[in-house]
Amino acid sequence: NRNVLPTGKVEVPKVRLHQEFLNSVNCSPEIFRCTLTKVPGTNSLLQKSRLPLGILIHPFKDLNNLPVIQCSTIVRCRSCRTYINPFVYFVDHKRWKCNLCFRVNELPEEFQYDPVTKTYGDPTRRPEIKSSTIEYIAPSEYMLRPPQPAVYLFLLDVSRLGVECGYLRMFCDILLEELDKLPGDGRTQIGFITYDSSIHFYNLAEGLNQPQQMIVVDTEDVFLPCPDNLLVNFAESRELVKDLLKQLPTIFLNSHDTNSSLGPALQAAYKLMAPTGGRVTVFQSCLPNHGPGLLTVREDPSQRAGKEAPHLNPATDFYKRLALDCSGQQVAVDLFLINSQYSDLATLSGISRFSGGCIFHFPLFKASDTVLSDSFKRSFRRYLTRKIGFEAVMRIRCSRGLAIHTFHGNFFVRSTDLLSLPNVNPDAGFGMQVSVEESLSDLQNVCFQAALLYTSSKGERRIRVHTLCLPVAANLSDILYSADQQCIVGLLAKMAVDRSHTSSLSDARDAFINVAVDVLSAYKLIQSSGGPTSLLTPSSLQLLPLYILALLKYVAFRTGQSTRLDDRLFAMCQMKTLPLTNLIQAIYPDMYPVHYLDDKSCAEVDIEGTLVPQPPHLHLSAEKLDSHGAFLMDVGDHMMMYVGHNISSQFCTAVLGVPCFSHIPEEMYELPEIESPESERLRNFVNHLQNEKPYQTMLQVIRDDSCYRGKFVDRLIEDRTESAVSYYEFLQHLKTNVK
Amino acid sequence: MTTYEEFIQQNEERDGVRFTWNVWPSSRIETTRLVVPLGCLYQPLKERPDLPPIQYDPVLCSRNTCRAILNPLCQVDYRAKLWVCNFCLQRNPFPPQYAAISEQHQPAEVIPMFSTIEYIITRAQCLPPIFLLVVDTCIDDEELSALKDSLQMSLSLLPPDALIGLVTFGKIIQVHELGCEGISKSYAFRGTKDYTAKQIQDMLGIGKFSAPQQQQPRGPGGQVLPPANRFLQPVHKCDMSLTDLLGELQRDPWPVAQGKRSLRSTGVALSIAVGLLEVSLGLAPVSKITTIMCTYPNTGARIMLFVGGPCSQGPGQVVNDDLRQPIRSHHDIHRDNATYMKKATKHYEALAVRAATNGHAVDIYSCALDQTGLLEMKQCCNSTGGHMVMGDCFDSSLFKQTFQRVFSRDQKGELKMAFNGTLEVKTSRELKVSGAIGSCVSLNVKGPCVSDTEIGMGSTCQWKLCTFNPNSTCALFFEVVSQHPAPIPQGGRGCIQMITQYQHSSGQRRIRVTTIARNWADASTNLHHISAGFDQEAAAVLMARMVVYRAETDDGPDVLRWVDRMLIRLCQKFGEYGKDDPNSFRLPDNFTLYPQFMYHLRRSHFLQVFNNSPDETSYYRHMLMREDVAQSLTMIQPILYSYSFNGPPEPVLLDTSSIQPDRILLMDTFFQILIFHGETIAQWRSLHYQDMPEYENFLQLLQAPIDDAQEILQTRFPMPRYIDTVQGGSQARFLLSKVNPSQTHNNMYAYGGAMPIPNAESGSPVLTDDVSLQVFMEHLKKLAVSSTA
Ligand SMILES: [Zn+2]
Ligand SMILES: [Zn+2]
Repeated sequence: NRNVLPTGKVEVPKVRLHQEFLNSVNCSPEIFRCTLTKVPGTNSLLQKSRLPLGILIHPFKDLNNLPVIQCSTIVRCRSCRTYINPFVYFVDHKRWKCNLCFRVNELPEEFQYDPVTKTYGDPTRRPEIKSSTIEYIAPSEYMLRPPQPAVYLFLLDVSRLGVECGYLRMFCDILLEELDKLPGDGRTQIGFITYDSSIHFYNLAEGLNQPQQMIVVDTEDVFLPCPDNLLVNFAESRELVKDLLKQLPTIFLNSHDTNSSLGPALQAAYKLMAPTGGRVTVFQSCLPNHGPGLLTVREDPSQRAGKEAPHLNPATDFYKRLALDCSGQQVAVDLFLINSQYSDLATLSGISRFSGGCIFHFPLFKASDTVLSDSFKRSFRRYLTRKIGFEAVMRIRCSRGLAIHTFHGNFFVRSTDLLSLPNVNPDAGFGMQVSVEESLSDLQNVCFQAALLYTSSKGERRIRVHTLCLPVAANLSDILYSADQQCIVGLLAKMAVDRSHTSSLSDARDAFINVAVDVLSAYKLIQSSGGPTSLLTPSSLQLLPLYILALLKYVAFRTGQSTRLDDRLFAMCQMKTLPLTNLIQAIYPDMYPVHYLDDKSCAEVDIEGTLVPQPPHLHLSAEKLDSHGAFLMDVGDHMMMYVGHNISSQFCTAVLGVPCFSHIPEEMYELPEIESPESERLRNFVNHLQNEKPYQTMLQVIRDDSCYRGKFVDRLIEDRTESAVSYYEFLQHLKTNVK
Repeated sequence: MTTYEEFIQQNEERDGVRFTWNVWPSSRIETTRLVVPLGCLYQPLKERPDLPPIQYDPVLCSRNTCRAILNPLCQVDYRAKLWVCNFCLQRNPFPPQYAAISEQHQPAEVIPMFSTIEYIITRAQCLPPIFLLVVDTCIDDEELSALKDSLQMSLSLLPPDALIGLVTFGKIIQVHELGCEGISKSYAFRGTKDYTAKQIQDMLGIGKFSAPQQQQPRGPGGQVLPPANRFLQPVHKCDMSLTDLLGELQRDPWPVAQGKRSLRSTGVALSIAVGLLEVSLGLAPVSKITTIMCTYPNTGARIMLFVGGPCSQGPGQVVNDDLRQPIRSHHDIHRDNATYMKKATKHYEALAVRAATNGHAVDIYSCALDQTGLLEMKQCCNSTGGHMVMGDCFDSSLFKQTFQRVFSRDQKGELKMAFNGTLEVKTSRELKVSGAIGSCVSLNVKGPCVSDTEIGMGSTCQWKLCTFNPNSTCALFFEVVSQHPAPIPQGGRGCIQMITQYQHSSGQRRIRVTTIARNWADASTNLHHISAGFDQEAAAVLMARMVVYRAETDDGPDVLRWVDRMLIRLCQKFGEYGKDDPNSFRLPDNFTLYPQFMYHLRRSHFLQVFNNSPDETSYYRHMLMREDVAQSLTMIQPILYSYSFNGPPEPVLLDTSSIQPDRILLMDTFFQILIFHGETIAQWRSLHYQDMPEYENFLQLLQAPIDDAQEILQTRFPMPRYIDTVQGGSQARFLLSKVNPSQTHNNMYAYGGAMPIPNAESGSPVLTDDVSLQVFMEHLKKLAVSSTA
C-alpha cells in the first residue's frame, strides 16, 4: 500500500510513562524528541532494533507559556548538577532524589514556598515540579562577568557582484525600518564594516556631523583604525546610524572592485567584538578572493550531476579557526550568502557552524527578482527581530547508563556535555546521538535534561531548562512500535551529513537505504506470520521508506540531477540545524488540494473562532494532481499554489479575482482579499499554516502552463525522474533486499 | 674707483653673490695657501624687484660639453651675428630671431647690468605646486585647536589652483580623501610598518587611471594642471570641505597609559606622504591618440609636517613609549647610548633622498617642550630645502607667525617660494667647482668643470634645490686648475655662471642666470691685490658652513682644532709682524673682524653643543646652512645695541663691558631677540617712572628697543623667541652666554695680571669658564708670530 500518508498531520508518537500523571508534565515534543519513545533497556536490544537512538532538541523555540522564576537558590543535584524537575522523587518533604544520578539531596527551606500562592507547603506545587520546561533568572554566581549588552555588527560585502545584485539597498532599507525592533536595551551597541579589496570601518561617534569612513587597505595585516566608536551605543548614535544606512547604498554604486576580503573583514570583526561578544552578521555575495582566507573555485560544473560530490569538506581551516576564536570571545557569526556564483559554502560555513551562528542562502540572488527579494526581506526581518540569547552554553545531561556521544548543530563542544553557543536563536535545532552504556533494566524511566544558560538582549542572565522523561522497554516489538519515525529521519539526516563529509555522498546514500532495509528486516523477524511477498512495516515506521526516499531526492543528498555544490552544502547545513518539523517539511513538503474547501468536512476552530478548513495531505505525486484543481504546497520557507488549466472560472473569480484561468497573471505572489466564502476559507487555511511558522512566507500562484511550473513539479518526489526511482520502485527495491 | 666694500655690496645686491676672495690667485698652490677657500655664497632667488623676467628662452653655447648661456661677458660680433662663449671660446651664431640685433639694439642678456637675468620658459608646462599637510594628532586639545586654526588659515594663503592633501597621524596614519560629498573617507595605515611607494600607490588605488579620463584638465590660460586625485585636490575645490575636515579633527583616540608616551608614528606618516607624492601616474590620455606622462615627481611640492612630540613607534622611532626613558641627549650620543638614533636617522635620510629625487621638499614644524627627533629627521629639511621650525607650542605667536610667513608674497602677489630647482655651475677653463654646502643635494652630474677635490657635496656641477626662497643661500667652492703659478690668462678674468632652473610659485618654469667674473692675480708677486679683495664676512660664513658640515659627522675637539689651525694660518699668511713678537702683530683692515667671528663661532651653539639638546643643535645648524651672509653673521656673532640717555641707540661690543646699569640692551642672535634692562633702568621701571608724565623720556627710552625688536620680529623667518629681562633676571643668562667674558671671576686671577683689568665700575663680572676674546687674541697673536708654530 503506497498511500501511507495520514489525511491529517503526521502524529507525533506519545510518550507513555508508567506514572500517568507525569505524562501531562513531560516536555513538549516540539522542543524535545527522542527517536524512540521507549528506550531499549540494553545496548543489544537497541542493536537488534537497528534503529538509531538519539534526541532532537529545539531549545530556544519561541514559547507562549514559559514559566519564569526568580529565586535566590536554584535547586540542583549536588552530585550531577541536574536542575530539579518534575521527574525527581521526593523522599520526604525535606529531601529529593535526583532522577539522573539518584543521589538524595536536601531541599532548601525556601523550596517549600509557593511563589504563586505565597504559602509554604508541598514542594510539588512549585513550578519547577509542575513544568518540564522552565526558565530561571540566574543569580550572580551564574555570571563570569556582568551580562554583556546586545552587540550587533554587520559585515557587508560591497564587491562588484555584491553591489550588482542589489542586496545592499534592501539591507539598508529593511534595517532602517526594523532598527528600533532590534532586541536590546539602553546598552545595545551597533556597528558596520564594509569590504571589497579593503576593509571599511565607520566611525559613528556621537556628536559627529557625518559618519566617517576609515579604510584599511592592508588586508594581510588588518587592524582597527581607531580604538572606539566603530561599535557605538545605538541610543546615542541613532541618527548617525540612520544617516549611514541612508548613504551606504549610494557610496558603492560606482565601485568596480571585484575583490572581496571576507577573511580580513572577519578578522577585523573579531578584534572589534572580542571585548564584549555579540553577533556578527555577514552578507557575502561571492567567493572571498582577497587577503587571508581567500578561496579558489573548486567546483567543476560538469560534475554537478555526478554520483559523488567532491569538495564537501573545507578547503582551509581558516574559517573554522576564526570561528573558534570568536566562540572563545562569545562572538557568533551569522552568514547570509547571496551569491550568484560558486562561493565555497563548504569552507565558508565553518565560520557559522563553529561559532553557534546560522546560515541563510539566497542563490542567484537579484534584488529585481520578486520571489528572491521577497524571501530575502521576510527572512531578514525575522532574523533582525527574533529573540536572541548571548554568551550561551547548553549542557545536556542524561540518566546514568546512557551516554551522549555525537552532537549535531552549530556550536563548539567545549566539554563532553557542554556546548558553547555564543548566540542562540529561536530557529536553531540540535541533535545528539545516544548510546546505552549500561543496562537500564532496573529502571522504569530515563531522563534527558537540557539546560541553556544565556544572556537575554536586556542583559539578564537566564537559564532555560527542558527535561524529557522516557520509559524503558525490554522487548523489541515495544521498541519498534514506539519508534518516532520523523525524529529518526531527522537524526538520520544529520548523521548522513557527517557521513558525506567523513566518507562520501554515496556512502551516506547507501546508509539511508540500509537503515530502511535493516529496520524492515528487524520487523520481519518479529512478524513470523508475515507473507513473503508483502513488505510489512509497523505503523510507527510506515512513513520511514517514504521519508528516506525524500532524503535521497533532497538537494543535500541527491545524485544524478544537476546540483550546485553550494546549494547542496546549504541543504546539508539545514539538515544539521533545522528544528524537526521544518526539516520534515523541507524534505517532504505538505501538499493539499484547495480547489474545494468546505466548512463541513473540515472545521477546526482556532482561538478567535475562525473556521479553518482541513484539506487532506496528498502524496507528492503527479497522479494526485488534477487539471480541474488547485493545489497548495507548503515547502516551509515558501508556499506555492498550483492551478490546473481546467480550473473552474468560479474558483478564478472567487479566489483569484480573475475571470478565468487565462487571466491568472504569470507572476502572482499573494491571494487577493476577495469577499467570497471560497476566498475566505482558503485564506484562513493559509493563515493557519503561516501562523505555525516563525515568520510569514510568500505564497506564489503558479499556473500549470507557467514557466514556474517546474518549481512545483520538481517537488513531486514520489514520481520517477530521469535520474531517480519512484516511490513504488523504491519500495520494490527495499522488498528485494529485506531478509 | 669704488672701494671693495662697495664692490662687494653691489655684487651682493645685483647678483646675490659674495666671494671670499674677489681677486683670484692664478694657481692652485697659491689658492690653498690663502687658507680660506675660494668660494662664494650665492642666493639663487635673491629678490630683484627691478629685474623683470624676460619671456624668451636663453641662448645656449652650441658646444655640447659647454652649453653655457649667452651673457654680458661674451664677445658679440654684431655684424656677423656671432657670439663667443666666454667659457669655452666657441663661436656661436645667433638664432634667427636675433637677426635684428645691433650695437644700438642689444638683447638684454648681453647688457652688463643683466649679469643676473631671469627667463620664463613659456613652452614648458605650468604646474601649480602641491602642499601636503601631515599633521600629528597626539597633542592636547588646545594645541590641536591652535594648529587647526593655523592650518585653516593657511588655506586662504595658498594659490587657489595649488593642490592640497591631508595626512594625519598618531598611533595610526590616515590619508584623507578630499572633496568627497557625504561621508568623509580616510585610509588608515599601521604606524609600525613601512610601505614602499608602490604599495602606497596600490593601496590608495592611485597611479593608474581606472576610469576613462576626460581631456587633461587645464587651468586658466590653458595651463596644464597636474592630475588631481582623491587625495590631492585644488584648494579652490576643496577648501570648504577641508576646513570642515580639519574642524572635525580629533586628537589621537588611542588611550595612553599612565607613565607612557603617545604612540606616534611620524616615521611612517612621513614615508606615506613621500610615497603619495612619489607616485607616477603613468600615461594620461589627453585625447584619443595622444597621451602625456603625468607624474608628481618633478612637480613642485612641499610636505608640511607638524609634530608635537617624538616618534615613538615604528620606522623612524626616536624614543620608546616609556616616559621614564628620556629622549637621547648629546651625552647619550657621545657615550654611544642613543638606542634608536642610528636606525631612525637612516630611515629619515632614505626619505630625504626619495623626496629630493622627486624634487619635493619636507618642512618640519616641531612644537613641543621636549625634543621631537629633529636630529634624526633633519636631513629631510636639509636635503630638500624645506623649513625646519622649532617652537614650544602651536598655540604661540612664534609658530603662528612663522607659519603665516611661509606663505608671504612678493610685490606681484606671488608666493616667495620656488620649487623643484636645479642649480648648475659653469666655470671658465682656469676653474673647477669642488662642491656646495647648503640645503640641497648633489645631482651627481659630472662635467668638464667638476673638480676632483671635494668640499661639501662635490663631484657634480648640479645640485637639486627642492624648494628655496629669496634668502636661501648656497655655499659654492672652487678650485684653480693650474698647479703652479702660471701667466695670468688672456683677458685676466675668470668666469663663473650659475644657472638655476626652477618652478615658480605661479607654476611657470623659469631659469635664472648669474654670470660673474673676477680678476686673476699672481699671489707670489701681488698678494696685496688678493688680500685687498678679501671679504671677511663671507669668509666667516663660508668657514662656519664648512665647520658645521664637518661637525655633522665629527662632533668633537678635532673640529675646533681645525678652526683654530685655519685661523692661525690665515693670520700667519696675512698678518704683519716681527717673528716671535706678538705685540707687533697687525692684520690688514679688511681682516680685523675675522678672528672675532671665529672666536664667537668657536663658542657658539653650532659647535659647543652640550648646553643644548641635539634637536636644538640640529635646528641651529639647519638655519646656518641656508641663510644669507648677514643673517648668518648675526647667528655667529649676535648684534648688541645699547639704549641710554647718553645719546641715540648705538651698536656696542658684544662684551660684558657693555652691560651697564643705566642701559637697555637689545641683543639679536637671530634665534632670539632679547631686551635687557640694566639694574638702574629696571629699578626705575618697577617704580613706574614711565607712567609719570614728567618722565616721558624714560617711557620713550623703554619703548625704543621694543619698537626696534618688533621690526625684527615682524620680518624674520622663523620668528625669533622674544625675551624681556633685567639684570639678575633668570633669562639674562641668554645674554651672558653670548657676550665676551672680558671680565670674569676666573680670568681676573688666571692670567696673573697679564690681562688689563677693566675698570671695576664699568663692567659687571660674568661667571664663566670661557676664555675671553682678549685672552683668545693674545694666544692667537702668540701663535701667529711664533716661529715654531
Ligand atoms: Zn544528580
Ligand atoms: Zn661654451
